[in-house]
Amino acid sequence: MVDKGQVIRLCRSLLRAGRQLPDYNIREYAKRRTFDGFRMNKNLTDHSKVEKAYAEGKKQLEVVERVVKVYLAYPPKTKNIMELKLH
Amino acid sequence: MALRNAVLRHLRVPVQNLAVRGSNQSQIGFLGSIRAFSSHDDHLSKQDVVDRVLDVVKSFPKVDPAKVTPEVHFQKDLGLDSLDTVEIVMAIEEEFKLEIPDKEADKIDSCSLAIEYVFNHPMSS
Repeated sequence: MVDKGQVIRLCRSLLRAGRQLPDYNIREYAKRRTFDGFRMNKNLTDHSKVEKAYAEGKKQLEVVERVVKVYLAYPPKTKNIMELKLH
Repeated sequence: MALRNAVLRHLRVPVQNLAVRGSNQSQIGFLGSIRAFSSHDDHLSKQDVVDRVLDVVKSFPKVDPAKVTPEVHFQKDLGLDSLDTVEIVMAIEEEFKLEIPDKEADKIDSCSLAIEYVFNHPMSS
């Protein structure tokens, strides 16, 4: 039985893993996609569906962690303009 | 220990001061900014923490900035859900360069708790 706390913790793990991505665009996408994914399934009540969604989330966490390792091997050489604090 | 930290922190100040006040500033100038035996300088002021936390909350798209006060509750007063709370807490982590463990982050559900946590955390910057 997956409870709300576990779901929130999975969401946070996905966000923290995505934060390590060196490329601005992919980092923002990871954040956006995490929230979209969790919000889409926010109102599920059927236990089996909740378990399935949670398992899918765990799989995606593995994907993000693998992708982070790959991207860290070849980080971008310049900062994206969106990352600069221009006043 | 606090004196050492205070001294080390002030030793780093001259580079910024030189840039701001012009490079003809004499080296003696920075010694005047060390306050001996003061252990309060190496931390953010409460007002600074309050302002920055409120800015983070106000810049969240689902939040009405007019409703944001230092005591406001994310879910009860601002009508957010738990995922929005997670998003706000992550944004606060990024603003203050902190890593808040899950157990503590679960408890933060209002501006006042967030401000208190950040203010009491030794690594906030």
